Amino acid sequence: MNAQVSRTLQRRAVKWLNTIIMAFLSLLLLSPMLWMISTSFKKPKDVFTYPIQWIPLDPVMTNHIKVWTTGDGFLTFYLNSLKISATLMILAPLLAALAAYGFAKIEFKGRNTIFFLYLCLMMIPQQVLFVPKFIMFDWMHIYNTHWALILPGLFTVFGVFMIRQFFLSLPQEISEAAFIDGAGHIRIFARMFLPLSKPVLATFAIIDFTWNWNDYENALIFLIDKNLYTVPLGMQNFMQEAGVDYNLMMAAATASVLPLLIVFFAGQKYIIQGFSSSAVKG
Amino acid sequence: MPPFFIPGKDGDPMSWMKRQRMLGYVFIAPNVIGMTVFLLVPALFSFYLMFTDWVFSSGRGPHFIGLDNFRRMVKEELFWISLKNTLLVMLPVPVAVIIGFLIAVMLNNRVYLTKTLRAFFFAPYFTSGIAIAFVWMVLFQPSEGPINAFLRSAGITDPPRWFSSPDTAMIGMLIMLTVGGIGYNMIIYLAALQDISTELMEAARIDGAKTRHLISKVILPLVSPTTFFLLITGFVGAVKGFGMIYAITQGGPANSTSVFSIFAYKQAFHFYEMGYASAISWTMFLLILLISLLQWWGQKRWVHY
Repeated sequence: MNAQVSRTLQRRAVKWLNTIIMAFLSLLLLSPMLWMISTSFKKPKDVFTYPIQWIPLDPVMTNHIKVWTTGDGFLTFYLNSLKISATLMILAPLLAALAAYGFAKIEFKGRNTIFFLYLCLMMIPQQVLFVPKFIMFDWMHIYNTHWALILPGLFTVFGVFMIRQFFLSLPQEISEAAFIDGAGHIRIFARMFLPLSKPVLATFAIIDFTWNWNDYENALIFLIDKNLYTVPLGMQNFMQEAGVDYNLMMAAATASVLPLLIVFFAGQKYIIQGFSSSAVKG
Repeated sequence: MPPFFIPGKDGDPMSWMKRQRMLGYVFIAPNVIGMTVFLLVPALFSFYLMFTDWVFSSGRGPHFIGLDNFRRMVKEELFWISLKNTLLVMLPVPVAVIIGFLIAVMLNNRVYLTKTLRAFFFAPYFTSGIAIAFVWMVLFQPSEGPINAFLRSAGITDPPRWFSSPDTAMIGMLIMLTVGGIGYNMIIYLAALQDISTELMEAARIDGAKTRHLISKVILPLVSPTTFFLLITGFVGAVKGFGMIYAITQGGPANSTSVFSIFAYKQAFHFYEMGYASAISWTMFLLILLISLLQWWGQKRWVHY
């Protein structure tokens, strides 16, 4: 065997060894989630057996069935979350695209100042807003309704910023040509920019969905009635009631992570691109 | 005839152009109005409230008391505990940034199955939230939980009581937050590494640079803007953190995991001290501003663009 071949073989061996080490490390970081899923199929007596049964020896479906069917309202929480997250995932990107187009493609007086102020708003932490919003929503009669989560969720700084970056990256000529042909901004936006920006809209829609699906603070502060609870709030309620039924808890936790996992594996390419591009350009 | 010359009653193309420019305001109007109503006005309202003694349940309106809320705050022990914990919660950020960087370097061109591994590493970040916080709560369960079962099997007869004890609750939080943050840093670094030209890396390698030097002399300076971005957003995010900590311990036991956001939340929604809570949340904003300013100042010294 000549030196060239043995060097290639050695390099491959090292690369495979690296792969195995990294795979092991990734499983270690994933282990809380893996434990959650495996425990959701266990009987109570098997939850804490040691060594850990990563694959339950005696798997049961009863936990999952119980979570969805008993009167704790998990199904209601789920539908509430879906309603809010899905509404926002459709409307927020469209509204953001509208503003993004205005900021990126139309030259009007004060545009840059307004955009700068707009970005400054991103600095303000949510916590500053909870008290005044609580009082305002009370006045507006949307406290303890889903509107308290939907209305503010429609407007995002991040979405406008992300989509604007994308519009700026499109060649200037295409909109200029259309403009000279007499198409107005409304037509250029609707017929040209919206179709072109499908990937970035999809990416933002996915990110927005996960934000709203996971939103705990707003729900905690603005929702009181149990039948209005979203999944994170419902989870907490469930925890308090399930007590030490850890297997049942983990079935609920699995159910609440499931949409995120589905979205993640279905839209992985978009998600990873979206996260990386927003950061690198930001 | 192209519509360029038709629109408008006056038929003047200049006024059509002008109207097209005015459309800019129409495009941004929904968002600007929404942001004003749900962000700017509340922010100004809360800025005013921090100088008042308003207690929502008292039925009395706000009464201006100047800086009294801040005087009260610095005298309160819980403020200092919350400040300490908020600073502690920032610790996982650089740790997760370093680990995320090392994983990204490995994944960039030193392993097979890059895409699968990338998804595996990113998934814990993507799914982290209240549900995962409850999983950690059970994992750290003191008497029978898997983590302590492992520690016992490793010969530690008296493992920590984690979230049940004021001495160790914070450590549990820090472990949870570190694991949750790695995936994001890895993804961002990986994107940055893929932007570094392969020729540059090859050239350095042919020049005989060792991996260690390649990382410290070539890669690290080139990704320093990314590092800067991750640290800033990470620290700011850490200061704002609330959900996972509140879900597990509500700031307990004995206030040992109380961070700023939990301190403010309890003042507002347990005691209805709206003025005082506003003062606390603006202090938090100040801390965020301070971090950003410090890092903007610091980046001049070590970020290479």
